[in-house]
Amino acid sequence: MVATVAIAQRDFKGFFGTPVGWIAACIIFLIAGLLFFIVTGNLLARGQSVDPIAEILGSLVGFLNYINIFIVPIFTMRVMSDELNQGTYRLQATAPISTWEIVLGKFFGIICYFGVIGLLMLLYPLYVFMFSEPDLKVLFAGWLGMILNIAAIAAIGLFVGSLTKNTVISYLGPVFLIIALLFSAFISGAPEWYTKSVNLLELGTEFTRGIIKTSSLAIYAALIGMFLFLSRLVLESKRWRV
Amino acid sequence: MIEVEGLVKFYGDFKVLHGLTFNVAVGRVCGFLGPNGSGKSTTMDILAGLLGPSDGTARVCGFDVVKQAHDVKANVGYLPDNPPLHREMIVEDFVDYVAKLRGLGGSARSSAVERVLDECDVMDVRKRVIGNLSKGYRQRVALCSALVHQPKVLILDEPTEGLDPNQIVHIRNLIKKLALDRTVILSSHILSEVQATCQDVIIINQGQIAARTTLSDNGENTRSFVFRFLEKVGDARNWLNNQSFVGGAEVMRTDDHAVVVNFSESYWTAGRDKGIADVNEKLIKEGYRICEIREHRTGLESLFFDVIKSQSAGQIASH
Repeated sequence: MVATVAIAQRDFKGFFGTPVGWIAACIIFLIAGLLFFIVTGNLLARGQSVDPIAEILGSLVGFLNYINIFIVPIFTMRVMSDELNQGTYRLQATAPISTWEIVLGKFFGIICYFGVIGLLMLLYPLYVFMFSEPDLKVLFAGWLGMILNIAAIAAIGLFVGSLTKNTVISYLGPVFLIIALLFSAFISGAPEWYTKSVNLLELGTEFTRGIIKTSSLAIYAALIGMFLFLSRLVLESKRWRV
Repeated sequence: MIEVEGLVKFYGDFKVLHGLTFNVAVGRVCGFLGPNGSGKSTTMDILAGLLGPSDGTARVCGFDVVKQAHDVKANVGYLPDNPPLHREMIVEDFVDYVAKLRGLGGSARSSAVERVLDECDVMDVRKRVIGNLSKGYRQRVALCSALVHQPKVLILDEPTEGLDPNQIVHIRNLIKKLALDRTVILSSHILSEVQATCQDVIIINQGQIAARTTLSDNGENTRSFVFRFLEKVGDARNWLNNQSFVGGAEVMRTDDHAVVVNFSESYWTAGRDKGIADVNEKLIKEGYRICEIREHRTGLESLFFDVIKSQSAGQIASH
């Protein structure tokens, strides 16, 4: 556990120690700011809304869920294949800690980064407090949905990153894998449980309406758990791979 | 401390290690000498618990590297050939991070960090970003990370690779200091490196142990000297062989008229310098003109090249 916290802390600080973390934050805030400006402008033009928070958050998170598919893999690439490539993974691999601790440390490092970004992003919908009394539960659900979505992309990214030292493949791999999964949901004849599970965008937007379904939480937990487990398996097998 | 038996490692169909067997006793500095690609790094990776062997066993501090990898890692400090450093980190933060990975906490961690920074002479750069340091300093910071948990065994893979002569001397002295209270395995393809720091040498070539030897303590007690004559090298050798104080004299190279002389032990007890001065005087009296007298280093160099050459020749023959 101590090692997991140490790795998460290091990676979290490391994102801000290099331009990657700052550039990604700038892109996210720039997009979120523009969206907020457009959505609130539309709301003001129309004069009223049943639930302004849900509308603003829905548009913000819905779009960020798309963007995150391209942003989160930059971070997974950095903490996984970049470390394998640079040899810094050896620091962790030669320490008396389990592979689970390593994988979870990397995972939580990314979640902490996006957690902070997500918290700062709450400023936009909170701005609406000046004009109305929005539903805080919707706000929380939307935020949770975004973090879960990021967590799922991070788990997939870590898995692909663990397979290769090549940073380009490590970045493009999860992007293509997620897009392929999204499209596979539209294959005719695909079972309902499958189409619901692989469409990350659909799962994320449900939360922005203030709906937290146990089934959605379970799907996220399963996706995250499965890909983290696979990452662990791949890292462990490196010791024996010939 | 380190017991290796029948160690085999395959990378695909390629056999990197062909059943290595060796032991390193407690408190020894053992050098792994071999050309590039001979299997040194693979052996070290296995001993550090980073790789699993395809066959055979390896035990470090009594722990099996496969079944008790956790205990092995807790007792080993490993510095790979490409030092694992987070270049964007500050030196002391980096060492502190490694200490956390090693399970050190609270005051024990901060004192361990202070100790190791001091031990590796990096106190003056502790607040600097690793990426901005010279290669020598970066190597020492990497050594800090290998030593922070006070390992009983230290494994160093080509620790002076790419350093300038000044930095090499620095790292060598540091290794000698560190070796006082732990077992050290050091790999290198540079002969002088091993000669300067190690007590035992294992020469490894094509995944096999080609030879092993123990180095005499810096040649202080060597009784073997090379005499180079201006002419009459054969006569000089015969004269030397007839002397009671000479154990044996051999012509080393006829082209430069050099004779290797082994002095008998009794002759040596009178004192090395006096012995050499006496024999020099006698040779001159006999009319043998001497150009040079030098210590004959019991040839790690010749052993290394003989072994590598004979193995290569054997391989060519078998093809």
